[in-house]
Amino acid sequence: MASARPVWLGATALVGLVLLGVRPARAMDSEVTSDSTAQAYDLRSPTGETLLSRRRFTTMLGVGVYDLFDQRAAAPGDPTVPEVSFRARLRYDADYGMSGATVDPGNPTSLVPGAMQSNVDLMYGYLEGRRFLKGWLGFKLGRQYMTDALGWWSFDGGEVSATTPFFVKVEAYGGLEQRGGFPLSTSRFEADGVWRGNRSGYDPSLYPQFQPAAIAPAFGAAIESTGVTWLHSRLSYRRVYDTGASNTSEFASGLYTPVVYDGARISSDKLGYAADANLADVAGVKAGVVYDFYNAEATQLYATVDGYLGKKVTLSADYDYYVPTFDADSIWNFFAGEPMNDLGLRANVDVTDKISVSGGGKVRIYDVQTGPQAPGGSGTYAPYPNYSPAFDIFPGNGHPFDEGANLSARYRTGATLVSLRSAGNWGDEGDRVGADVAAQHVFESRYVTSVRTGVWQWDDKLRPDRDATSFNYVLGAGYRFAPRCQTLFEFEHDMNRLVGQRIRLMLTLSLAVGK
Amino acid sequence: MSLREPLRHLRALLPWLAVLAVLAMVPLALAEGTAPLHGLAPLAADQKVPRRLLPPGAEEPDDGPSDVIYPAQQLTLRFNHALHMGTMIGATCKTCHAAAYRSHSATDSLIPRPKECDACHGTNHDDLSAVKAGDDATGQCSFCHLGYKAADGNAVAQLQMPRANLQFSHQAHVDRNIGCQQCHGAVEQLELATRDQLPRMRGCFKCHQMPDSASRGEAKSACDTCHLRGTAGTAIQSLFASGTLRPPRWLHNAEHTPDFLERHKLVAADDSQFCANCHKEDFCTDCHDGRVRPRSVHPNDYLSMHPIEARMGTQKCQSCHREQSFCLNCHLQVGVGESSPAGAKDSARFHPPKNVWSDPPVKPGHHGFEAERNLNACVSCHTERDCVTCHGATGVGAGFDPHRTGFVGGCANQFRRNPRPCFVCHEPSDGVLAQCR
Repeated sequence: MASARPVWLGATALVGLVLLGVRPARAMDSEVTSDSTAQAYDLRSPTGETLLSRRRFTTMLGVGVYDLFDQRAAAPGDPTVPEVSFRARLRYDADYGMSGATVDPGNPTSLVPGAMQSNVDLMYGYLEGRRFLKGWLGFKLGRQYMTDALGWWSFDGGEVSATTPFFVKVEAYGGLEQRGGFPLSTSRFEADGVWRGNRSGYDPSLYPQFQPAAIAPAFGAAIESTGVTWLHSRLSYRRVYDTGASNTSEFASGLYTPVVYDGARISSDKLGYAADANLADVAGVKAGVVYDFYNAEATQLYATVDGYLGKKVTLSADYDYYVPTFDADSIWNFFAGEPMNDLGLRANVDVTDKISVSGGGKVRIYDVQTGPQAPGGSGTYAPYPNYSPAFDIFPGNGHPFDEGANLSARYRTGATLVSLRSAGNWGDEGDRVGADVAAQHVFESRYVTSVRTGVWQWDDKLRPDRDATSFNYVLGAGYRFAPRCQTLFEFEHDMNRLVGQRIRLMLTLSLAVGK
Repeated sequence: MSLREPLRHLRALLPWLAVLAVLAMVPLALAEGTAPLHGLAPLAADQKVPRRLLPPGAEEPDDGPSDVIYPAQQLTLRFNHALHMGTMIGATCKTCHAAAYRSHSATDSLIPRPKECDACHGTNHDDLSAVKAGDDATGQCSFCHLGYKAADGNAVAQLQMPRANLQFSHQAHVDRNIGCQQCHGAVEQLELATRDQLPRMRGCFKCHQMPDSASRGEAKSACDTCHLRGTAGTAIQSLFASGTLRPPRWLHNAEHTPDFLERHKLVAADDSQFCANCHKEDFCTDCHDGRVRPRSVHPNDYLSMHPIEARMGTQKCQSCHREQSFCLNCHLQVGVGESSPAGAKDSARFHPPKNVWSDPPVKPGHHGFEAERNLNACVSCHTERDCVTCHGATGVGAGFDPHRTGFVGGCANQFRRNPRPCFVCHEPSDGVLAQCR
């Protein structure tokens, strides 16, 4: 089953290469980009020894070819012509500080399942068509992202959309969710709550809770408003399936009867809606909701109202409701995770064209279950062998609020950016207060200089020995040898009692060539 | 009291009033000789232009159109539109700007050529290297050309009017009977036309509200209807020598304020294509699928600080990180996770002491509370086996029921769609499952 994915990806890449290769003399726009970063730093334990030595190298190679069939070139300036383009981005990410034993299934004392399963991944690679059939039809084919109220998501497949003249766009898509454990893929986009990946070479008794990756068919649809600029909304639905075998016996010792569950089953099944209405000079409203059919509840709800006081001042009120949910394969959907309710007030003042200040505060209200589960009572649960009422009394968590505030400011001109970012958070879990000041200036459009410094102080209420006040500065210098080509070296220095002195060195190189 | 008394006083004041009136005429007479020149600003003496005369979409107070779209100009001419378009001369827009009626591109020069002035001003601009002045005052070079000095060898300061960074067809609008005033405001009531008489984007949206498709020939709302196409995969070009295009507040309230980092999801979740007009996927992936810590999001020694923020959920870690991959992998390597390999270095106990964290009775600081407040924090370190050890229906800790109150009421829906997690804690033959089957 796993081999289906490389076929998809190979086909997409082949289409791109063929289109690139057979039509070299056309007027299409094209570009090749490369972004590379090398960084080195150490992570130490509270007792001072090095836990991790990061020696990381990340590089991304992107290609974009636009107007593949010269429709736009044939009618310059006409925004109604159809257009086909191809875009792809490949990433190599490796940590040369990591021991090989960490990823060696033959070395169970050091193995961390799932670590660095794929050094190379195709971030996206798709063929896109727009404005076909007199502007009605658009499509995307290949690995692509999707962003809406349901989140930031990636899949391999096809998407087709119809833009009607009735201010409505209809969209449908289907394919395979991008999942870790496959070649050229990462686990970034699969629903959380399940530890899984490539179990090739693993003994069945080795980390049985690390589940084998399997393809995840997915489909969805959306209806979206279009055209009107002061009102926009999108209603989207998506369903993803888990397939393949999943080990439900978590202990190799056979504590439970070994069971492997196999078969197609729901991974996630959600409906999302987001809307935005804006009356210039008066006010704006944004809101969204996500309903989870598996958990049968609204898991996200947010709304914000912005009031415009003249041209310079915006006052806003926010509400955010969030319940954590997970892949339907995960046991954690069943745990008594309770919602977070955030209420906030914000303000932004554009002091001048170049200077803006934003600030706000919020309160998080926790709703914590305090009643006993009453197993065996009222026909709910059968009594369990070790049950004791003493285990099941939740007297309340004492302080049901967290508080937070932030203040940001920015001065921006063409060559200079100076910014301040400060925040404070207070709660039962800990406190955190601090501020960063950063500045960047480009001399003569070529010489890049940057500096950042900050002081942050945190109190860990659950682990008082981890309190610290940290001072940090970053110095950077670089050279911009073309508009989108730059190299930058950064020296970062952290000082606090937990890490002593931590140095992080970074070298980045960005390149872009286009035609 | 009779009226006689006040009249008597008034008569006495009359000579003095006459003297004051004469004195008042002196500065007026002097002013006549140095009257301010007209045509140097939109209104005489550079008065503020009322909003009703500005292009539609101008704000109050008005800062003019975008400096990025319409780069700064240097106007070295004096011109009075109101005078020329008044009853005395009777010119129309087309008299001088006939080229606009045939223009398909914003790069076309629509300023009248100098010889258009010759007929009335008596000048001769046929040969720009040997321009001849007219006979009267209005024909003198200095009448229109600001800063003109005869001693400079007949040279005049150059008019600098950079092309707009737009694609625009005047003819397409003229053909739809859209008058000049509908975009440029009441120029006929103004003297000098400046950048302030160029269209405002808000004004364009009075018409450009139509869907991109199926509205061919109508005023489409797609950004590249007017904006220049991006050359590197973006729908529109946003970087210019004159600056960087950024969305205004009145457009989806997407103004990139200093706190936009915290609130950008409100825009992106609703209309990601709006963001895609200027940003490619790469811009989003730098953070949302990033491999290099962005300091604007995670400042200072974030490695040491992140447990507090993760527990508080101040930033939703899962917006950019998958806990059972990104977080768990690192936590297992450093020995924080309960499922860490035996060879991982011991990072010491992460949680509070056992008597607080896991022993009954449940009290503030107990892991049950922390899990309820932010279950994501648990998931970033633990595998499901860690929880099943105590919360499973059988075995070591059987009886520590993790389900929320009322769980049984909805569990049939979950069991039907995916029974796999039920079997992790319950034997398939467990009678309690009958309540969910």
